Amino acid sequence: MLELRLVQGSLLKKVLEAIRELVTDANFDCSGTGFSLQAMDSSHVALVALLLRAEGFEHYRCDRNLSMGMNLNNMAKMLRCAGNDDIITIKADDGSDTVTFMFESPKQDKIADFEMKLMDIDSEHLGIPDSEYQAIVRMPSAEFMRICKDLSSIGDTVVISVTKEGVKFSTSGEIGSANIVCRQNQTVDKPEEATIIEMQEPVSLTFALRYMNSFTKASSLSDQVTISLSSELPVVVEYKIAEMGYIRFYLAPKIEEDEEMKP
Amino acid sequence: MADAAAATTLEWATKEPCLMGIDEAGRGPVLGPMVYGCMYCARSYNDTLATLKFADSKTLKEEQREELFESLKVNSSIGWEVDVICPKDLSAKMLKRSKVNLNEISHNSAMGLVRKVLDMGVLLAEVYIDTVGDPEKYRIKLTEKFPGIKFVVAKKADSLYPVVSGASIVAKVTRDRALRNWVFDETALNMHMKTGSGYPGDPDTKQWLEDHKHPVFGFPTLVRFSWGTCTPFFKDAVEVTWESDDVDEDATNNGRAKRQVKLSSLGFTGFKRKTEEIESSGKGRCKFFQARNLELVRKFQ
Repeated sequence: MLELRLVQGSLLKKVLEAIRELVTDANFDCSGTGFSLQAMDSSHVALVALLLRAEGFEHYRCDRNLSMGMNLNNMAKMLRCAGNDDIITIKADDGSDTVTFMFESPKQDKIADFEMKLMDIDSEHLGIPDSEYQAIVRMPSAEFMRICKDLSSIGDTVVISVTKEGVKFSTSGEIGSANIVCRQNQTVDKPEEATIIEMQEPVSLTFALRYMNSFTKASSLSDQVTISLSSELPVVVEYKIAEMGYIRFYLAPKIEEDEEMKP
Repeated sequence: MADAAAATTLEWATKEPCLMGIDEAGRGPVLGPMVYGCMYCARSYNDTLATLKFADSKTLKEEQREELFESLKVNSSIGWEVDVICPKDLSAKMLKRSKVNLNEISHNSAMGLVRKVLDMGVLLAEVYIDTVGDPEKYRIKLTEKFPGIKFVVAKKADSLYPVVSGASIVAKVTRDRALRNWVFDETALNMHMKTGSGYPGDPDTKQWLEDHKHPVFGFPTLVRFSWGTCTPFFKDAVEVTWESDDVDEDATNNGRAKRQVKLSSLGFTGFKRKTEEIESSGKGRCKFFQARNLELVRKFQ
């Protein structure tokens, strides 16, 4: 028996919108500690990891670990039927091949049940290597979204370089090139607008903007985004979900044709 | 391609200032080559030229044009040249990554003719051209390229100046012959030359296009693929995936290709290789299939 009651229903809607472009089918894993998902995109270049901790739910009951395979587009379709202020409850019976989403209006005068068929998805958990990052940039998520969007109108890839000066996003394409530098900026009264750069050593990596743009769909979940970079490692783009968990996107870099990365 | 008539420069042309007319044939049709023709003569001969009954090639019948062309070929007081742009070139230029529009192609062809004639030692003084695009801009472009020559760019120049009418006959006859004697690159069955006028509105032309379309290759190279007329015929054509496109996309960046790394090569471990990857590697399958990169597919599209 599984029953998860999320007062802030809009949160789940936003999560779905953030990941459904990257991944079409994924397993949602429920355990005693929380509701999570880990999935790779079809080209095995990007990975999304979502965690919603049990404490974040108003009511969390998960008798045994359960993995539910869902088509994210179908799930998004159902969740779009929930109002932004609705309370969403996810319910599933042991051994059942369906999941039920229940939407309650804030005034409790309307209750909707949507039952979705589950699917059998063959996937295994990835071990994500624990590592120290050479540079960690925290910046306003809206700013990061804007940068990715702007740069993708000029080029296909973005070079993210962190130096003492700040973090530089650059691209070049057929029509020309662009550089955007963001400097450290700590605003005491507005922590959500701060840009904080923690750098152990300078780092510069190239990524496909297509993926970055799809990550920024999660911007509505958090005012701030954390970008962790290390050479020879995937970048981590993390959006914290207030008091509940996080959504993390991992993206493998692009490298020069001749240099080979050690597996 | 031009069967150069004036391979040896005519003597008068190097001594006397000359007039030249340039005109085109086959700009509009969806198939066949576009031909630029030019005709030149000594300035003093211009009056005689006016009596030769050259008129705009479109107003003449095909036989009349052929006749005039033959008479013009044997006339030692007239020189001429053609530039034949084959449909394959037109399609390629107009569809390639940095596109060249038809006006640009026309301008270049005309300027090529002027250059060619000058290189032969002809003393060009005045050049008359039927306009393509804005006449004044075209004139400035030409004057900048060839200072010292007076350019007259006009609409309907082929009916105004006999020397342009002559050029239009040269161009039109060359195009007609090229089309009549067209040898297909393709060897499909049942190909025919009932192309009609070649203009997109002509029902015969439409029928010809319908008869000659191919789901993979489109049309024979006689057709200008870049014409809007062609697009509706490809509605239910086969979708082709170009493997090189992915590489191309990267190559535009900084001019050097970058390779996208997969997560599995960066220490992300433990996930099952997706079946598709195992299949495409051909692991554990007969050598015959491995060597030819043949894969099992479950779905045909």
